[in-house]
Amino acid sequence: MKIDDLEQMESEDLSTLPSAERRKFLKLGLAVTGMYLGGSVLSLTSAKNVFASGVVPEIGKYPYAPHYTMVFREKLCIDCEQCKEACAKTNHVPSYGFRTTILEKRRSLGGEKFETTFMPVLCNHCNRPPCVRVCPTTATWKDEKTGIVVMNPGRCIGCKTCMTACPYNARYFKEETRAVDKCDFCLESRLSKGETTTACVEACPADVRVFGDLADSKSRVYQLVHSPETMVWVLRPETGAVPNVFYINS
Amino acid sequence: MKKILLLLVLGVFLLSGAFLSVGKDVQVEDDYDEDTYGPKDPIVWTKPVKSVVFDHKIHTMDAGLDCDSCHDELFEMEAGAAEQNEDFTMATLYEGGYCGACHDGSTAFASDTRCTTCHIGVRGHARLLGDDGSEKAH
Repeated sequence: MKIDDLEQMESEDLSTLPSAERRKFLKLGLAVTGMYLGGSVLSLTSAKNVFASGVVPEIGKYPYAPHYTMVFREKLCIDCEQCKEACAKTNHVPSYGFRTTILEKRRSLGGEKFETTFMPVLCNHCNRPPCVRVCPTTATWKDEKTGIVVMNPGRCIGCKTCMTACPYNARYFKEETRAVDKCDFCLESRLSKGETTTACVEACPADVRVFGDLADSKSRVYQLVHSPETMVWVLRPETGAVPNVFYINS
Repeated sequence: MKKILLLLVLGVFLLSGAFLSVGKDVQVEDDYDEDTYGPKDPIVWTKPVKSVVFDHKIHTMDAGLDCDSCHDELFEMEAGAAEQNEDFTMATLYEGGYCGACHDGSTAFASDTRCTTCHIGVRGHARLLGDDGSEKAH
């Protein structure tokens, strides 16, 4: 379009705007404001039927059978990292990555005294796993039978979206396979070969890690998380991922 | 003139600060006598699990134990000698061996409580060695 043609065109500034158009725009603005205002007024009224719900699923409401779970008796952990070594050996984990690791918390006891707590972490095998939802190639999914979040490295394109989505930092990119790698509760290396427990559980000298089927009322994990006067918590419950790794202090 | 005065005041502040902090350090150094209280550096055992720390100062200077409270009956004087023994385990401690002689719940806190007071772990050991012990990027 040439500049001469442009000059010939009708102006689009406010002077040519019909008042019906202005009125429509204002109405839209009022409608939006009204919606928000109504919402805030509603939010000020008290909510009914709201209960504080725990992180432990109700008995009989486990989606999988066996419903594999790990329970950490956290205060017994001494960060000897024999679990980490056993995991790396069993699942061929390179030195730059981890399937499980130990974090450290320090709490002041007043003065210059501190109490250290070691916190073992691994994949939480969430009931609503954010990593599975974001994978563009369905290279990771929840095993239908056991609920374990598994990986098919051959289908992984290494986009690392799952690593970003995971609230627990439980995934790393493995250079050797050019795929993301993660804990599978030793499903491939041990459980599928008839073993009943994971390498890290077997290696733990302090009996911190307990692995088992939460749907089985005779299992130790079941008894630990359902015993009275026990504080049970999960990491980052606010994400809504419904994790299957529980922490207790007894 | 104003500038000189300002510099003078600032100088006095800095100097007195330096003196105070130096004085504090020297006092602590002087108080701790290795011949009386044992080696200043902590003892770290890595067997049978990594890593357990023992600090002479807490036990001798602070708690008032003598050298022969532990040496040579419970522990040989030589650093790291105990961890060569087969029975240097928590089970022995619970039976009153090694640290368990005092750490029985009545003389000092029991060996099966407050684990991380002595068990500093791989991370704590790395920190002692000057590494920050934080997770490497992956």
